[in-house]
Amino acid sequence: MAMAEPSTMNALEIDDGRDPSVQEFIDNTLAALIRGLSQTPAEANISITLKRRASPMACIINPITGALESSPRVETHRKYSWPGKTAHEAWKFTVILRILAILDQAIRTGQLISKRDIYYIDPEFFRVQYIVDHIVDDLAYTIGVNRTALNVEAAAKGLVTGDFRLIRGSHILIDAQSITEDSLIPRIKDGDEIDISRVRWVLVIEKEAVFHRLARISYHTRALAGEGIMVTGKGYPDFMTRTFLRALSDSASNQSRHPPRFYALTDGDPHGMAIMSTYKYGSAAHLHQNARLSIPRLQWLGLRVTDIIAVPEVLGDTALLSLTMRDRKKIVAMLRNSPVWASDGPEPEWRAELQRMLVLNLKAEIEILYGCQGGLEGWINRRMFRQE
Amino acid sequence: MSKQYLSRGSADNAHLVDIFSLAITDKQILSASGASSIKVHSTTDADFPLVQSIDGAHTIGCHHIVTNGNGSRAVTAGFDGEIKVWSCQDGHWAADTKLTADLTGADVWAIALSEDGQYLAGVTQEGRINVWDLAADGTRIRDHETKGNFGTCIDLSPDGRLIASGHDDGAVYMFTTETGRMPFSLLGLVNPVRAVAFSPKSKILAAAGDSKVIVLYDTSSGEQIANLSGHSAWILSLSWSDTGEYLLSSSFDGKVKVWSMETKTCVATHSETDKAVWNAKWLPKVGKTEGFATAGANRSIAFYREATG
Repeated sequence: MAMAEPSTMNALEIDDGRDPSVQEFIDNTLAALIRGLSQTPAEANISITLKRRASPMACIINPITGALESSPRVETHRKYSWPGKTAHEAWKFTVILRILAILDQAIRTGQLISKRDIYYIDPEFFRVQYIVDHIVDDLAYTIGVNRTALNVEAAAKGLVTGDFRLIRGSHILIDAQSITEDSLIPRIKDGDEIDISRVRWVLVIEKEAVFHRLARISYHTRALAGEGIMVTGKGYPDFMTRTFLRALSDSASNQSRHPPRFYALTDGDPHGMAIMSTYKYGSAAHLHQNARLSIPRLQWLGLRVTDIIAVPEVLGDTALLSLTMRDRKKIVAMLRNSPVWASDGPEPEWRAELQRMLVLNLKAEIEILYGCQGGLEGWINRRMFRQE
Repeated sequence: MSKQYLSRGSADNAHLVDIFSLAITDKQILSASGASSIKVHSTTDADFPLVQSIDGAHTIGCHHIVTNGNGSRAVTAGFDGEIKVWSCQDGHWAADTKLTADLTGADVWAIALSEDGQYLAGVTQEGRINVWDLAADGTRIRDHETKGNFGTCIDLSPDGRLIASGHDDGAVYMFTTETGRMPFSLLGLVNPVRAVAFSPKSKILAAAGDSKVIVLYDTSSGEQIANLSGHSAWILSLSWSDTGEYLLSSSFDGKVKVWSMETKTCVATHSETDKAVWNAKWLPKVGKTEGFATAGANRSIAFYREATG
C-alpha cells in the first residue's frame, strides 16, 4: 500500500509549532558531526541514524482509536555514514545534512516551507522529489513529531463545499453558508471549532471530477437526505484534508442528537478501496499520524462492482472494465498485507468486495453512474436512503 | 414438464464471507470461501453436520475447490495464487504437503481434477492451459497457449480425452489431452464465460456466463447444438446430473435453474436468495431421487431434494 501523499500538518498537540525536541535533535546531530570531524578518520564515527517507518506487514488496527498503526514491537533503524561505503551512501548522508540545515533555518526564522520548496532549492542535488519527501518523513518520525513541527507544510489540495462554520477563538473565521463556490479545505488549528449542526451528511468523494459535477448542481443543498457537506481529497488524501474531515467527525461526535452520517464514494477498484481505507483507518506510510486522523464513523456508500451488475439494463455490459494484471496484484497485496482486509479484520464486506472483484475480474468507475436512472445524484439519493 | 425440488435444510453461515466453490464426494460436501478455512459437511446425515474445518488452508481465501471421483483427493486454489493438494482417509482430510510443494509456482486461476485424481488441469490469468501429472511428482506435462485472455473456468471430460476452458473475452477452447491440439475452434460467447462443464458421457460441453445463455456444443463436431435461455442475470456455475439428463445452473441474481436435456427446457427454478449463487452442484443420488446444493454470497450452503410422488 504505497501511497503518494504530499505533506502537511496536524497541530492538535502543538501550540505554536515549536517543539523543543526538534531544535534539540538538530543541535545534537550537528554537534556530533562536528565532534566527529575533529577526530582522526580512524576513530571518527560520522553518521546519522534515522528511525524507519514500519512496513504495512507489521501494522495493526488499534482497537481503541480504530486507526491503522504500527505494531509496537517493530521498529527499524538505518544508519547513514560519511564518507560511507559507496558514493550513494555519501550522497544520501549529505542530503540528510542539507535538509536538516534547511529545516534549521526555517524553524529559526519561523518560516513555513513545503517539501516542494525544499526540492526546488537544489533539484539537481536532490534528484527527485520523493527523496526529499522520504527524508522529511523519516526525520519527523525519528524525532517523534509531525511535519508541522519541522515547519514543513503542503499546499492545500482538498476541496469542500457545504454548510459549516469554522470558529477560532470567539469569532467565526469561515461561514461556508455564504460561500457559493467550492473552496480549498481550510487549515484547522488547535482549538478551532467546527459547527456542522445544520447538515445531515458528509460525503467524501475520491475523484475531483465527480465532486465538481455534484457541486455544480448544488447536490449538497438538494439531496433527498437533506443538507450536506461534500469533500474531495483528489485521490489519496493529504493530511490537511484528513485533518479537516477528522475535525468534522469530532464535531459530529459532540452532537448528541442525530449526528450527520459520513459516507465514502470511491471507484469500485483497488485504488478506490485503498483510498477509502486511508480516510477511515489511515495510511501505511504515516502510521504515527493515523490515530489523530482516522474517521471510524465513515460508511461505505459505493461503488461496489455488484451495484453495477444489478442494473445492467440501464448501463449495458460495456460499463464494466476488466481488471489489469496490476489491479489483480494490488488486490492480492492489499488482502495479504493490510490488517484492514484481514480475515479477522474490521471490514469483512471490504474483503469480500476485493475477492469478488478478483473472481469476476471486474472493476467499475463512478462515472458509470452518470448514465443510470436519475443520474449520479439519483443513485446517491437512493443509496443514502438505504443506509439510513 | 416441470420438476419440484424441496428445501432439505442448510448449513447456515457456513463461512463468514462469500462461498465461491463447492466440491462433492460420495459422502461429503467441501466448501471454499473468502475466509481462510475449508469446511467439510456430511451429506449422509439428514441435518448436514459440519464434520471438519480445515483452518488456515488459504490465508487470504480460496476461490476454487475440486475433488476426484471417489473423493480421496481434493485440490484448492487460493487468492494468494497457491495451489494445495489434500487427501482423505476415512472421511478425514489432511494436507498432502509433498504434492503441494511439487506444485509450487503453478500460478493458475481455475482448476479441474480428472475423475481418477491423477491429472490436474489449470488455466492461468494469461489464458494458458497447464496439466500436471500428480502420479509423477506433479510434473507439468502440458502447457497450451490460447488466444484467450484471463481464464475464468476449466473442465476435464470424464473420459479424460478433452479439456475445455472459458475466458474473460467470451472465448471457449477445447483441447484433446492426447495430442494437445484443438480439434476445432468453437464459436464462443459475446461476453465473459464463467463456467464450462462436460456431460457425464463427455459428448456435450456446456458453457455459460455474462451472456445469460447456456450454449451446448457437440464435442465430436464442435457444433453448437442448443442455446438455453431463461436466466436474466449472469450465469456463474454449471453442473451435470449423474445420468446427464439434467443440467444445473446458478446465477448472479440468486436464481438456480434445472434444465432437461431431453426437451432442452428449464424444468425448475429456485430463488431462495437475491444474492449471487457462486456455485451449485448435484449431490450423489439417494435411492432414485436427485438433489443439489447451492452456495454463494449469502454465506450458507442450501440443500435441495427432488420431490417424490
